[in-house]
Amino acid sequence: MKAARAPALGAALALFGGSAAADDRREIQLGLENLYYRTAETALNRGNVLGLDPAEDLLRATGSWRERRGPLRLVARGYVEQRWGGRPRTDSAWRELFAQYDAGHLVSVRAGRQRLAWGSGFAWNPTSRAEAPKSPLNTSLDQPGADAVRLDFVPAAWGSLTLLAARADTAVGDLPFEAPARRRRTGAVRARALVRDTDVALVMAGGKGQRTLVGVDLARGLGGGAAAHLEAATYLGAEMPPARDEARFTRVAAGVLWPRGEAQTLALEYFYNGEGYAPRARDVWLTEVEGAARAAADPALPSDLRARALATYVAAATVPYAGGLGLRRHYLHASWTRAAPGAAWTASTRAVIGLEDGGLALTPGLGWSPRGNLTLQLDAILLLGPPDAEYRLAPVRTAVQLRARALF
Amino acid sequence: MRDLTPALLLALAAPAPDAAEILRRADRALLGDSAAYVLRMSVVRPGKAERVVEMKGWKKGDTLGLVRYTAPAKERGTAYLRSGESTWLFLPSAQKVVRVGARQNFGGGDFSNADIFRLSLLRDYVPTLAGQETVEGQRCHRLELLARDRSVAYHRVVWWVRADGTFYPVRGEYYTLAGKKLKWLTLSEVTRLGGRARPTRLVMENAVETGARTVLEFLAIEDDVALDDRLFTPAALERGE
Repeated sequence: MKAARAPALGAALALFGGSAAADDRREIQLGLENLYYRTAETALNRGNVLGLDPAEDLLRATGSWRERRGPLRLVARGYVEQRWGGRPRTDSAWRELFAQYDAGHLVSVRAGRQRLAWGSGFAWNPTSRAEAPKSPLNTSLDQPGADAVRLDFVPAAWGSLTLLAARADTAVGDLPFEAPARRRRTGAVRARALVRDTDVALVMAGGKGQRTLVGVDLARGLGGGAAAHLEAATYLGAEMPPARDEARFTRVAAGVLWPRGEAQTLALEYFYNGEGYAPRARDVWLTEVEGAARAAADPALPSDLRARALATYVAAATVPYAGGLGLRRHYLHASWTRAAPGAAWTASTRAVIGLEDGGLALTPGLGWSPRGNLTLQLDAILLLGPPDAEYRLAPVRTAVQLRARALF
Repeated sequence: MRDLTPALLLALAAPAPDAAEILRRADRALLGDSAAYVLRMSVVRPGKAERVVEMKGWKKGDTLGLVRYTAPAKERGTAYLRSGESTWLFLPSAQKVVRVGARQNFGGGDFSNADIFRLSLLRDYVPTLAGQETVEGQRCHRLELLARDRSVAYHRVVWWVRADGTFYPVRGEYYTLAGKKLKWLTLSEVTRLGGRARPTRLVMENAVETGARTVLEFLAIEDDVALDDRLFTPAALERGE
C-alpha cells in the first residue's frame, strides 16, 4: 500500500504547486445516443402535419472536450445526428462551445455557447429563461446552451454577482419534430448571497422577444439530510398566447431533496405556472387548434388561407414545447434515484404529473458502468393519463433513449 | 529519577492538558489549519463489489471544506462543498449546484457529509475528559463529547486520543440521542505524509450492518496551503474550479 502511494503523492504535490484547486487537466468524452420515438396522430398533429413516421429515430455520435490550462478553460460539446423515419436527414449541433477566463477568484468571464443552469429548481427554473427550458417529457435530457457572455464577480465568499447577455432559440430540444423556436436576446443580472445558511439570489432579466422578470431563489438545508428550495419569478404579460399584456403572472417552483438510506435520493417539486391555461382557457386553445387544422385541410379554401391556417395550427399545436414551461398551472415532479459513486448500477424514476388533468410523463431509467470510464444509460418515456391530458395530446406516445459514453 | 529523560521530566512538569486542549490538538493532528489532500474511499458491503473512488480535498479553518471526485472517470467533477452549516453538491452532468443536508451520507458510504467535513470536533461538541484507557494497543485519553446543539450529526461521541503527546486520534464511537451506537471509527497507519507523521487510514464501521465499512486513505497531504475563502463558494463550483 505504501509503495503505491509514492507516485500518487508526487502527482498530487505537482498539482498543488500551482493554483490551489484549478489544476491543468483535459477530459475527453465520446458517445453514442439513440432516441427512439413511437409517435401518433393526435390533436396536436392533425393530418400528421409534423410529418412523423410512427417510429422516429435519432441516432447521434456525441463528443466532448474540456481543457483547463491555468486560468483558461475551453469546452466543446456537440453531436452529429442522423434522423430516421419520416424525413431522414443529417444534422449537427454544438451543445456548448465556450472559453472561460478566471482572473483569480474575483472575476470570471465565459463567452460562447454555454449552459446557464442557474436556479435551485430541479425540473423548472422560473428565474432562468435565457436558455431552452427542460423537456417536460424528460427533465434529465441534455439541453442545448445559449450563445452568451457571462461575467461572474465574486467580491467576497458570502456573495457574488452575475451579469449575462445571451441569445438563444428557446425551443425544447431532443424532440422528434421541429418545435418553432422563439429567438430571445436576454440581459440578466443575478445577485447571490449566503444569509444565515440560506442561499438567497435575486434575478432580473429581460430583453427582446420576452417579458421582463424579477425573481427570487432561496435554498437551505433542513434538519437531517434534507434540503429545500423555492424559486419564483413575476412578470407582466404572458409568454404563451394570448399575450395578456396587462396581467401580472407568477411562476413558482418549490421542493425538497431528501436522501434515503445508503445511496437513494427522493426529490419532490411543485410547480405553479401562473399563466398556464385554466380548464376553460385550455378548451378555447384546443378549439382554436382544431379549427386551424380543419381550415388547413379544407380544399374549399384558397391556398393562401390554408397556408395561413397551417401556420396558425403549427404555432398553436407546439405551444407546450415552444419555450413554455407547461400548458397548465399546477404540476408535480417526483423522482427517485439510486446512485452511489463508483457503483456499477444506477436506477432512477422520474415523474411529471399534471395536477389538473392527470397527465403523467413517467421516465424510468437504468444505468450500467462495466468500467469506471464507460457508462450505458437506458431511459424510457411513458406518456400516460386521460386522453385529453396535456401529455396525451403530444404526438409522442413512448420513447426509449439509449446512451453510451466513454471517458478519457 | 536518574532514568527519566529530560523530555519526560518536562512533560511531567507541564500542567496536564484539559479536555478542550486535547480535542483541539487531536483536531489538528490529522490535517493542519488549512490543507490540501488526496483521498481514496473504499466502500465495503457484504456480498457486493467494493466501490472505490478517489478525490481531492481542501480545507480552511474550522468552517470551510471542499472535496472533488477525480476517479473513476464517470464520477469526475462531482464535488461537495461545506461552508459553516451549509453543504452543496455540484453535479457536472447537470452543471448545477444543489443544496444537500449535512447528515446525508457521503458517497453512499458510512461517513456522513459532516464526518468528511468534520473540520473541528471542538466546534461542534463539548468535551469532557473521562480518564485514560488502552485502545488499539495505545494508552489514550478518553473524551466524552456531547453535541453543542441538535444540528450536529451525532448526539454523543466517545473519542480516544493518544496520551503520548502526539494527540493522534485512535478511535471514535458515535451514538444517537437514544444512546444507540451507530458506528465506530478506527484511525491507524501513522505515516509521514506532508512533512509530518499522522494517521492516514480511517475505517468507519457500521454498527447496524455487520461487515459494512468504509475506508478512507490519505494518499497525499499538504498543510498550510494558502487558500482563498472564495474557493469555498457555489460560484467557484459552477466555474469548475
